Amino acid sequence: MKIAVLQFPGTNCEFETLVAVKAVGMDGEIFRWNRSAAELSGFDGFVVPGGFSYQDRVRAGAIAAKEPVMSALKEEAGKGKPIIGICNGFQILVETGLLPGRAKGNVNAGTNEFRVNSSASGSGSNCNSVDMALAQNVMVSQGKIVRRGYYCDWVALRHEAPSKRCCGTFALERGALVKIPIAHGEGNLVTTTPGLIKKLNENNQVVFRYCDKNGRVINEFPFNVNGSTESIAAICNEEGNVLGMMPHPERSFFAWQLPAFDPRKQRPDEPGPGRHVFESMKRYIEVNA
Amino acid sequence: MSQKINLRVWLKIPDAEAATVKNTLVRRMGYGNFLSDVKKERLFSIEIDSGDPQELAKSFARELVNENKESHKILVDELIFEEGYVPVKVALHIEDGEAISTRDRLRNRLGFGNVVDVKKATIWKLYFKTLKPEAEIKAKEIAEQLLINPHKDTYEILSQ
Repeated sequence: MKIAVLQFPGTNCEFETLVAVKAVGMDGEIFRWNRSAAELSGFDGFVVPGGFSYQDRVRAGAIAAKEPVMSALKEEAGKGKPIIGICNGFQILVETGLLPGRAKGNVNAGTNEFRVNSSASGSGSNCNSVDMALAQNVMVSQGKIVRRGYYCDWVALRHEAPSKRCCGTFALERGALVKIPIAHGEGNLVTTTPGLIKKLNENNQVVFRYCDKNGRVINEFPFNVNGSTESIAAICNEEGNVLGMMPHPERSFFAWQLPAFDPRKQRPDEPGPGRHVFESMKRYIEVNA
Repeated sequence: MSQKINLRVWLKIPDAEAATVKNTLVRRMGYGNFLSDVKKERLFSIEIDSGDPQELAKSFARELVNENKESHKILVDELIFEEGYVPVKVALHIEDGEAISTRDRLRNRLGFGNVVDVKKATIWKLYFKTLKPEAEIKAKEIAEQLLINPHKDTYEILSQ
């Protein structure tokens, strides 16, 4: 069971992600963006880790999404192999069109919901594979914008999908709470695609929402940490084999990584909550092999 | 009567972001036969309701432009560009927090009470080997395939 952890110029979480992959018993290696893309087919699963690929030039994930390795990754996704995008990895998967994905006619396919612009201005009729954006953070509390931009903190997440729905939360029950850190400036999920959010909810493609410590989803800061629509923190594609999440599970893989106020930190041999994601990936591959 | 000050700002040192966009277009997206260069500017459009726009523009430039690495050009109630490239203006259609912060900084912290509004945009200057109208068609393609995400950005090909 061999996992490729993709590395682009500016990626900065690849090594701890690889540690997490190996710690749950999978083989893995760093796969540089300029390796032959055809070599990707030799792997059983993929992680696109966090960081700032290409320094977030143009917008987060936009340049990396044009690399040949991402076309090859699309092909591997089509084979049903699991792909997890974390933070910048999520942004890259969105810009590539792998999330939320249109593999089976997602969101009114065939109804041409994008405007077709005949004039030389508009909002992009040719962006035909991108259904959403992870825009700049906007933190709202009591109707007022209280903060903007980059933010890092420990957040509580509620697992929204049923177990076995998604490759990265295969072993988690619906309603399970996990504590994982976030660190990003562009995690605000927005979309102009009609019906997309409804469809994601109906299809159980919303995997995690930001919540308070008791699991209540409160759609404002500090619980919704970036202004994301409906407090969405993670989504998967229709098939469930591609997961994108803004929080960093590799940063809470071991209990010793937890913050000082968490009692589990004093029990360093215990697994951290982020471990579920990597264990789920392994289980997903075992079940679908 | 309100007036609009357009402050065009560009790097006089190498612009790594523009270079990355050019590389991506040429090496990854097949525009090598059409595109000769890409440059980039920031555009501040500052609406004022009183005062001498030329003098105010100089004051704004002192605050918003870092002369160590940037150059600028001031245009009042007009926005014109040079010949030789296709200017593509990209701006957010969702709320632009940076523009709001710039407005508040000018108005509340620096005392420019005559600032009514500030809008920000990026101007991508696409230099083509081909002539109009093909160049503008290519510019539209490039805008939609790389320069914007339609769920948060809009673009406009600015006529010259």
